[in-house]
Amino acid sequence: MSRLGVIAVVAATAFFAIVPLFLKPYGIYLSSTWVVLSIAAMGLNLTLGYAGQVSLAQGAFVGIGAYTAALMMHAGVPYPICFVSAGLICFAIGWVLGYPALRVQHHYLAFVTLAFTALVFLVFRNEEWLTGGTYGLSGIARPSFFGWSTKGALSFYYFSFGIMVVLTAATWWMLHSPWGRAFVALRENPIRALSLGLDTRRYTLMAFAIGSSLGGLAGAVFAPLVQYIEPLSFALDLSLNLLLMVIVGGSGYFFGPFVGALIAVLLPEWLRFIQGYYLVCYAILVMLMMAFCPFGIVGLLERGIKLVIFKRNPPQSKLQSESANP
Amino acid sequence: MATFIQLLVSGLATGAIYALAAVGFTLLWQTSQTINFAQGEFVMVPAFFILEAMYLGAPFWLAILIGIALSLLLLGLTFKFIIVDPMIKHGVLPLVISTIALSLFMKEMVKNLYSANAQPFPSLVASYDFHFFGAVISSQSLAVLAVAISAVMALHFLLHKTRLGRAMQATAQNPTLAGILGIPVRRMVLYTFLINAVLCAIASILISPIYLAKFINGETLGIAAFLAAIIGGFNQVRGAILGGFLIGILDNLSAAYISSTYRSAPPLLILIVIIMWRPQGLLGRVEERTV
Amino acid sequence: MSSVLEVTNLRKQFGGIIAVDGVSFDVRDGEILGIIGPNGSGKSTLFNCVLGQLRPSEGEVRIDGRQTTGFRPCDLNRLGVSRTFQLLQVFPQLSVRDNLILAGQEHQGTMYSRLFGRSDAGLTDAAAQMIDFFRLSHLADEMAGSLSYGQQKLLDAAMAFMAGPRLVLLDEPAGGVNLTMLGQLRERLQTYHAERKATFVVIEHQMEFVMALCTRVLVLAEGKLIAEGTPRDIRNNPVVIEAYLGH
Repeated sequence: MSRLGVIAVVAATAFFAIVPLFLKPYGIYLSSTWVVLSIAAMGLNLTLGYAGQVSLAQGAFVGIGAYTAALMMHAGVPYPICFVSAGLICFAIGWVLGYPALRVQHHYLAFVTLAFTALVFLVFRNEEWLTGGTYGLSGIARPSFFGWSTKGALSFYYFSFGIMVVLTAATWWMLHSPWGRAFVALRENPIRALSLGLDTRRYTLMAFAIGSSLGGLAGAVFAPLVQYIEPLSFALDLSLNLLLMVIVGGSGYFFGPFVGALIAVLLPEWLRFIQGYYLVCYAILVMLMMAFCPFGIVGLLERGIKLVIFKRNPPQSKLQSESANP
Repeated sequence: MATFIQLLVSGLATGAIYALAAVGFTLLWQTSQTINFAQGEFVMVPAFFILEAMYLGAPFWLAILIGIALSLLLLGLTFKFIIVDPMIKHGVLPLVISTIALSLFMKEMVKNLYSANAQPFPSLVASYDFHFFGAVISSQSLAVLAVAISAVMALHFLLHKTRLGRAMQATAQNPTLAGILGIPVRRMVLYTFLINAVLCAIASILISPIYLAKFINGETLGIAAFLAAIIGGFNQVRGAILGGFLIGILDNLSAAYISSTYRSAPPLLILIVIIMWRPQGLLGRVEERTV
Repeated sequence: MSSVLEVTNLRKQFGGIIAVDGVSFDVRDGEILGIIGPNGSGKSTLFNCVLGQLRPSEGEVRIDGRQTTGFRPCDLNRLGVSRTFQLLQVFPQLSVRDNLILAGQEHQGTMYSRLFGRSDAGLTDAAAQMIDFFRLSHLADEMAGSLSYGQQKLLDAAMAFMAGPRLVLLDEPAGGVNLTMLGQLRERLQTYHAERKATFVVIEHQMEFVMALCTRVLVLAEGKLIAEGTPRDIRNNPVVIEAYLGH
């Protein structure tokens, strides 16, 4: 990462660590929602943005993680175990859901994952003995660790923020190991990757499984945040919204999902004055973005910065001048 | 047995409506690689055009004509020129995202401009029950079947028996070659968007008296159309028709014989099985993959 | 001399069409074998069967005496068989250096040890050498997609050599490359061959390129092997001339 990038990341981390101190409880709650959505979108970005596998199932994984954590917490299991289990279960289910991706691509894969999301919703709604059906599960307690309770809005925010920082660092590290390169190769040219010794099958399944497990972990944070979960929260809408967040933020850019999630959380608040029309505006924004900058906001920023640097240091090599003036 | 016949007929009727939406969906995919995630909303919206026209004083028949005209204009022309054309050059995924956003846009506009409540919608025929070997079959089901089947047959005639239809098929199969042969490719693609708009409007008129007109209806309709298109074969109009009927019948039978809470599960499971074992669909051709 | 690759009675049928019809040959250690033939003679299908991209209908493929029929391309690659492609196959959004590291990384340790290992899998130096060898040093940090066609062809070849393969199959390396670049490519291939004692199989249309590079040539027509010999023999073989001109 460039020096500019390091400064930006440190500044952003400091900003999100300090700002909630000055917010009202509702603002803190929104910030925690942003944390949950960012983790889930980061997972989807791994599957879609890096490895190039379209998935409309990320919302279902958030749901599976949330229900897993909530049910285990109700059974009296300590939170850290619930959290890890949510991740592991989603890893396993994500691995299995990756199998269709070995046979079909693009829109077919979108439909398989869409069908999966619809089926998971049916299970949440209908298996009352387990999930409480349409009434959902309530009274999910916020955990406490060694006497530090996360019951208050602010302490829960810092708890979730801490989880996000750890998961983000882990994902960053993974994407900068040879695996990250392999995932990009999978997206760009799977046939060539296969001929260079990449076991594309295993990497595809891995991309699905790890992306899904991040969805599950986001769910495990979501359950104690809202303290009440119901099937409708995890219907197809959530999966579609997470997809929009990844794309709007910048698919394939590491920090894209965080920006996308921020917009998804803030836009309804900014557009409160137009009441019910905020989703209309959001939809128009997405369509405009797809028409004029399909690489998303972070992609746009990157291009902007490159342009500035480019102007300051005119290129020397022949190739660069060629690519700049085609 | 009587119940079974009843379920079969109502299944065929809903299936016919799904088939209309699925055929339009397939046509768009064939000629322009558009995967329209707003297809369900395309079926939901024309009913509101008609209701609005009636609210302004138009008689039902005139309102239907106005509804179809508005569909042609908005769901056909505007959709193609404002959404699809600028987006398709970026690839399939941005367009998919756009149509997802479009579906959100349409849902929210209807909710805000009209109402979040379900609206009653006039039926095409007077309600009357036929008795047939002990089964009760409503005039509405029969009317739906009659209209949907005529629409599909008209489309089939257009595609297979006319010069225009053959030109459209050529465009779908190989646009470059079609262009070289002097077929106006761009116009042919536009026609498929217009046909899709009409099919959606017809489906809307047929389904709204049964399920009432509601902003949220597009979700289930859209999924049913995808399922029908994929089960039948994404690149085949015949496949989409077969898929539509299959989904409709399956939906009704599983609601009655398996579990009403899981009625939508069997089609989803079948979809997954088909995509895994026969991704080209029941009637589809294999699209060759080249190294 | 021992055989690196042995193909025995290989047949590939697509529906009613027989693309490769009972082809047998072997590739000896250290040689550059050319396979030529008119369009549609089954050269690429033969390649794809040997490399695991397609499953042969009949017949057997052996690498170093080991039966490898039906192996996946990634497994074959890890056994030391690599290839280039007829159409450009690089990773446009990765830098030239990353393209090369990628080409070598799967040969370092296991999938899980790589996750915890170094980001470059310890291949930066090896990649730099390969970049130098193909004279792409000034482009090492550029995205592969921004290279010219000829430069991408060189990169494609460099990737095939990155893991130090035992056998390299080159699928029309000269296709679409201009003459200057073609000379450079041939010279680099010959140097690599001389330095590393590698074994090549080359499919090519461009006769001059084959004649200059190969030590032995096979001729394929309508899925069958019709001639075999030194480049000079092949050039004067009436059967070969017939096969080319008869189409």
